Amino acid sequence: MSYRLDSEQSMLKNAARSFFEKEVSGALIRELENSETGFDRDLWNKMAGLGWMGLTIPEAYDGFEAGFTYLAVILEELGRSGLASPFFHTVALGGELIWILGSEEQKTAILPRVASGEIILSVAYAGADEPRSAADLPIKASTDGDGFLLHGSCLMVPFAQIADTIICAAQSGDQEASLFLLDPDTPGLTIKALQTTAQDRQSELLFNGVRLENDKLLGKKRQSWPVLQQLLHQAAVAKCAEMVGGARRAMEMTVDYSKERVQFGRPIGAFQAVQHHCANMLTNLDSSALITRHTCKQVSAGTASVADMAKCKAWVSDASRKLLLLAHQVYAGMGFMEETDLQIYFRRTKAAEQIFGNSSFHRETVAREIGL
Amino acid sequence: MFLNDQEQQILNEVKQFLADEVTAELVEESLHNELLYGGRMGREFVRKFAKRGWLVPTWPREYGGLDCSQMLAASIRHEMAYARVPMTFAGAFQGGPTILNYGSEEMKAEFLPGLASGEIEFALGYSEPGAGSDLMCLKMLAEDKGDHFLINGQKIFTTQAHIGDYHWLAVRTNPEGPKSERLSLFVVDFDTPGITVNPMITMAGTQTNDVFYDNVRVDRKYLVGEKNKGYHYILAALEHERTFPYGHYLRFFEELLDYTKTATRNGQPLARDPLIRQRLAEHETELEVVKHLYYSIAALMDEGRSPAYEASMEKLFLCEFEQRLAATAMEVLGHLGQLTAGNAVAPLNGLAEYYYRWTVIETIYGGTSEVQRNIIASRGLQMPRAPRR
Repeated sequence: MSYRLDSEQSMLKNAARSFFEKEVSGALIRELENSETGFDRDLWNKMAGLGWMGLTIPEAYDGFEAGFTYLAVILEELGRSGLASPFFHTVALGGELIWILGSEEQKTAILPRVASGEIILSVAYAGADEPRSAADLPIKASTDGDGFLLHGSCLMVPFAQIADTIICAAQSGDQEASLFLLDPDTPGLTIKALQTTAQDRQSELLFNGVRLENDKLLGKKRQSWPVLQQLLHQAAVAKCAEMVGGARRAMEMTVDYSKERVQFGRPIGAFQAVQHHCANMLTNLDSSALITRHTCKQVSAGTASVADMAKCKAWVSDASRKLLLLAHQVYAGMGFMEETDLQIYFRRTKAAEQIFGNSSFHRETVAREIGL
Repeated sequence: MFLNDQEQQILNEVKQFLADEVTAELVEESLHNELLYGGRMGREFVRKFAKRGWLVPTWPREYGGLDCSQMLAASIRHEMAYARVPMTFAGAFQGGPTILNYGSEEMKAEFLPGLASGEIEFALGYSEPGAGSDLMCLKMLAEDKGDHFLINGQKIFTTQAHIGDYHWLAVRTNPEGPKSERLSLFVVDFDTPGITVNPMITMAGTQTNDVFYDNVRVDRKYLVGEKNKGYHYILAALEHERTFPYGHYLRFFEELLDYTKTATRNGQPLARDPLIRQRLAEHETELEVVKHLYYSIAALMDEGRSPAYEASMEKLFLCEFEQRLAATAMEVLGHLGQLTAGNAVAPLNGLAEYYYRWTVIETIYGGTSEVQRNIIASRGLQMPRAPRR
């Protein structure tokens, strides 16, 4: 076992690095943060042209059927770019849910269009807290003739306003979860934009008697919680890859700055107080990169336990936050200016830390898994 | 952990051997020798253990090794630590590899088989009262007398001096010239006339030593490699040999976990306390991180690369983690935590109390956390040199 990427994965990494360096600038990110949708269709189409949307989708549905580690490679480079993109929920979560749960008809109808970049997915499942069981899902689905009636409100739904299909998880009975394919224009559904730290586009979804026909039920199954839960664990690990990429970039720009910024007649990077902050940044980064790489390989191989995945997200959430806070100490006044890219990573890292359960959420998971 | 079938088989044999041979008395002796090799029972144990090449699995077969991977070596050290005999070998792990790389054929033949088989042990002789981390400033002097060297001066913190057989000694052989070209390494028999060893006792009750040299005559053949190259040899060895095993802390953590599952406070199991749950889950997570920092160094070396700063990072992270773990254990145990080993009522055999003292010491040995951070900053991030006089 090695912690390194194989040659194909390395090639993908280099291609992704070059792509994002060329296509995504701090200026673009600021422009998107201030735009209505926060989304750049041209950029999305270029990413789709490289085949990334179909990376993990099976070949039978026009994808590449590559493993989780490949996905993590793209996400790490996406994180490095600082871009908030619907790529994550479309590919790392939405596509996977449809592949695992969907009926043949649903898979055939949706997955090739995901792979081509034609449609964007979002996923709605959380209320005020990250759910631990189907009973925590904030949307209630009741049977209504041939179909279902959905009530409740869902929070922190990414890119809901531009998504073509929103996968919505609802409680459909005692400890039962049903997942639905939701058209954003469905009557009774209101999408309200939320203002967030990273100015990424997250929304509140209000379900006021949303009626869905039976064919909108994903996979015609009413007991989909275990699959959703497993994929949320994996999504947490995928998020770690994104955080590692962002943290690496933040550390690099900060260390570079410390070598250029002169005070008291020498670069500030020559002072041990600054060096120790930087050494702590590298320790936070390397530890995060190692545990993430290892856990991604386990997920790829199907051997990652719940505890493995929870430890990864618990660690990387904390370590990335610490790294960014140290970076700001070193970068000092210039670091907190809007015009400096470091602050973009500071806010993106916080968003990543909070989604799919923060570190105390995952430590509680670990505690349960080790028998406490 | 990431081994091929043949190496996995070796590791399984190691585990079986440890299960059969590690006794409570051996653990006790090892603990009170600061986990260093050289105690009476330790020697008996290690000689049996080393017969199979397990002490130096990466060495060539002709010198007693197995020509195996660094991953196997790291895995064996981990199992030893988990069995509570995480012995540190100054000879097999530090002096030996330097002799292997730079020593004369005569020196290799004289020392390597004995180190590989556990027959002999060295004691690291670097630190002096005026030179700890600032190794280039060593003052102890060896005068070149042609067929021999005459050595005078003092070493401090020579921890194995009372249990080892030979002093792995760094001294000045060149009073002039650049600081990095002044030192040489010697292997000196502790029985040589003129050497005095005085004990120094630590706050963990363990022993380290002052060593005085008074006109000690050392044959030229005990000079390691070339004269005045010692500093470079030491640096090269530190890069590879700074990795600290963590298995004994994993074992301790598991016992602490079991304790919290059964013990109660205010009528409630400790394991139900949300703060304790968070803290123990944090340590479980940190142990996972330690595991990757530890094994990734072996993976790197097996890929033919040389660790630059990674071993310093592992040492830094592990030692600071140990302190947090010991502090958590003391907190979980409450006032019983202060009971030392030997008290019948001491929870966890008094290990929490011992580790609370010992982990402070371990964080200093091999370079303080701050020294490790300096190394990480300069070698890992190529940061500018801090101003020095």
